[in-house]
Amino acid sequence: MVVTTEGPNGEPIGRVVATEHLPASPHQFHFWTEVETPIGIGAIVRVEGAARTVYAVVVDAKAYSDLADPLHEVRVAAGVPAEHVPPTRRTEIRLWTAAVLRQVPEEPLQPVPLAEVFLASEEDVQVALRMESYVQGEEQTGIPIGMYATGGLTAPVYLDANFLLGPESAHLNISGVSGLATKTSAVEFLLKSVFTHFPSGKGRVAAVCFNVKGPDLCFLDQPAELFPEDLEMYAGLEIEPTPFDRAHYFAPFKADGININTLRSHPDLIGSVHPLVWGLREVLDYHEVLLNRDDLDAKAAAFIDFLTDRVVEKEFRDEWGNTHRVRTFSDLEQLFRAIFDGLEATGRGDTWRTHHIATIRKVRNRLLNISTRCKGLVTDDGTSEDLPFGTFEDRGVYVIDVSGMDQLAQDLVFTRVVSQLREHLERRDLGVDHIVVFADELNKYAPGDGPETYVRKMLLDISERGRYLGLVLFGAQQFRSQVHRRVVGNASTTVYGRMDMDELATPGYQVLSQATKIKLATLPKGELMVRHPHFTQPVFLRFPRPPVLPGPAGVAAYPPAMDVPFEEAVMRQLVALDRRISPNAVAEVIGGRQEEDVRRALLATRRARPDDVLAYFQAAVGPRVHHAPAAPAGAGTTPLQSVEDPYA
Amino acid sequence: MTVPVAAETGIEARRRLREVVLEAGGVVGDGRPAAMAGAPLQTPFGTAEPVEGDEVSTVPVGEPAADSRDAAFADGTQRYIVEGRIGLTPVLRAHVGAAVLTRRDRDLLPVVYEAEEFVVAPLDRLADTTVTKLHETGLQVRDCGVPDRAHPILDVQLAVQQVERRRRCAEIRAVTEFRRREPDMWLVVDGSLRGYADAIRESRVLGAIKSHETQFLAGMDLETALTLPEAHRTTVFRRVGAREDTIHSWYLRLWDWAEQDILFGLLRIERERGPDVLDEIDEVCRWLLAERSPVSTPDARWDRLLYPIHEVENFLKAKAGSWW
Repeated sequence: MVVTTEGPNGEPIGRVVATEHLPASPHQFHFWTEVETPIGIGAIVRVEGAARTVYAVVVDAKAYSDLADPLHEVRVAAGVPAEHVPPTRRTEIRLWTAAVLRQVPEEPLQPVPLAEVFLASEEDVQVALRMESYVQGEEQTGIPIGMYATGGLTAPVYLDANFLLGPESAHLNISGVSGLATKTSAVEFLLKSVFTHFPSGKGRVAAVCFNVKGPDLCFLDQPAELFPEDLEMYAGLEIEPTPFDRAHYFAPFKADGININTLRSHPDLIGSVHPLVWGLREVLDYHEVLLNRDDLDAKAAAFIDFLTDRVVEKEFRDEWGNTHRVRTFSDLEQLFRAIFDGLEATGRGDTWRTHHIATIRKVRNRLLNISTRCKGLVTDDGTSEDLPFGTFEDRGVYVIDVSGMDQLAQDLVFTRVVSQLREHLERRDLGVDHIVVFADELNKYAPGDGPETYVRKMLLDISERGRYLGLVLFGAQQFRSQVHRRVVGNASTTVYGRMDMDELATPGYQVLSQATKIKLATLPKGELMVRHPHFTQPVFLRFPRPPVLPGPAGVAAYPPAMDVPFEEAVMRQLVALDRRISPNAVAEVIGGRQEEDVRRALLATRRARPDDVLAYFQAAVGPRVHHAPAAPAGAGTTPLQSVEDPYA
Repeated sequence: MTVPVAAETGIEARRRLREVVLEAGGVVGDGRPAAMAGAPLQTPFGTAEPVEGDEVSTVPVGEPAADSRDAAFADGTQRYIVEGRIGLTPVLRAHVGAAVLTRRDRDLLPVVYEAEEFVVAPLDRLADTTVTKLHETGLQVRDCGVPDRAHPILDVQLAVQQVERRRRCAEIRAVTEFRRREPDMWLVVDGSLRGYADAIRESRVLGAIKSHETQFLAGMDLETALTLPEAHRTTVFRRVGAREDTIHSWYLRLWDWAEQDILFGLLRIERERGPDVLDEIDEVCRWLLAERSPVSTPDARWDRLLYPIHEVENFLKAKAGSWW
């Protein structure tokens, strides 16, 4: 007698089937289950053979009945489906396709045995994903990335820190459609996980995050409202559901040079945002970022190299008896003016030190234009405020808000910061041993096609060599297919949120089954698919909401402050440093002063963070100087004759 | 003299011939080649007498039942192979099985399964030592009782008849076991109720016969039965014989047979005599009419093969697997 029954937990949920046309191989097999079954696409199963255990993940499924031709149904229903309920339900099958994750023993590699199929237990998940090698034993390097959850089982899934942050391999790439906040949330959660579980014996770790759009990363130090299921996952993954306690914010000024260009401008928060201000030296080293190929021909490049090597921050004597010490864009402008004037006055033709005057004019226009296009970031006067290279905190997260900046300025910030990180890591004097750089919109910074850019070259360099230095890229983008293949290809860990079907139709996703693609296209928020060197197949996971205030909620809780007049902005920033300072005192100090002087003093005060803020600020502004009114230009003064400037 | 026939001529001839059939009040067939007649029918004719009325007539049964009826379905299967011959004497190995599937809430579930594997041979023709060794194989050894004079085909046919008997025994055992467990549930068995005896007495058991090898009616009664319209039945008649006179029977047309063979969609139903037979007959027919769906395609007998019976066959095939 045969009676099919539903077995209790622990009983097989299916059985491997194999035919000549649908055989079981060492890497793939098929099994059937009851129609009502807890498994689905992404479920991990175990096949228990006599001398072989196989772990696999379900990648495809079919259901069919013994109906020979759909027309037969039409005929018996007389063409009216609503009125047709056959007295017998047709025999139907749930036929699943599973891709092998691991076989035990691994050698000799053989076809999957035609045996019973079980739902994976927590221990099975660990073995199937080869996690036991790094979550057990003496040297544990597991970094939780989420919870595997199928059939009532939840089991933590770990990445190997050696393969996420180096040195074995490194980098993480995450793809997903915009608007679901999966990419940002996943990275925020993963950073929290890294900071919690990264083994102290492997060194210090910090993160630099570029906030390229909206308020996504502006509230990493503010707690989020978490739901019970989130807290349960945090407990299971052994991560404190608390915001980052060492978050540091950097943003350039707006064009007015006093209001900080960030959505984290609420009075309660603006005090923790450091201005990001660079001068000539910081910019000139990365002129390739700012000047495109049309600008930067060989002659222009040679002249810029001349300026960098011989002029900037050196004492430079020109042919007309002037001594220049170029530290700022203003100094540079004076140098250019001296050259043009000198050439005009002496009538020495159109060449200066082998550089044609047209080239000099072109370089002048491009360089001086930078301080205009990057106004707020680049100052004319040489002052600078930068990230604390050399004193990076362990488990610190450094957010650079470039969301309000011109694309060119964003490129400059990105390139210079990453280059500085690299240089300090090479010298081992950054303050941490591993730095995670999170960059969204990789398809913009490292596109798969288009002209070669300095940013892309740098990202390629990080991708291919960063792991040896501890420089790790967490990159995100909407369309992975549009990112340079060497950038995504070098990311050892790949994460997918909900994907666009058009994107999934591109060749890069051919290895995924159609069912997996459908699941990816409909993935709910909080779920993702992960590939990792230890996992031989992609695995679907859930992850909790990040423990930090999401951008939109942050903006609602801390509405950005409106831009305020110069005097009030100075007052607010000083009060943020020292709440005892009275507005009247500030007004008295800055009354009648040049704005540039005030800005410089304010920057110096913020940088120094002295005990007596007002006194320091007052000293930095300097004593008042009473200028005699300038005499009007004499009627007989001959204006300088201008040389035609084709590039003006 | 042989006259070559062009394709157009053949089609035209067919058209003319069909016209003649129609003009004579006949019904044209499906135009497909006739099936092989096969071996001569063992029992082509039986006798019967009307139970419902004085002669066999046509009764419309109405619309198919709308609701699924919880019921059981039984069938049997057999396989055999001539493993060898000792001298001229064939030795067969056979497998027979029978099963009952119940249907509750539209789902079929196997509840009884009977199977047997055995050896069949004319033991009188074999040496005692050979018979002993056949027993030592561990299989049941059954005699098929052949005449003294050997015949290479007839001997095998007689052995196969023994296999068929064993299959019938398995079917009866399965049905008996099912009735013991479920005495009140409707049961439809594939084929005739002949031989079930006590297993079907005073119970809700139907036999669904689709082969029509034995015709119990004759003359106009037979023509009325075999030309039934769709969703019609004949009046009930009683088989007349030594042991079967307790069986009542009627024909039921499941599908319209226009442009099909005359037996298309035609079932003969049997049920043990009882007071409910006539009272429930139209309800039973409407139920069986509803069993047209799902269709049992791609089985060639789909017009008469009820899907649950088809599923019993599939279950038995699956259980037998690759038995050879």
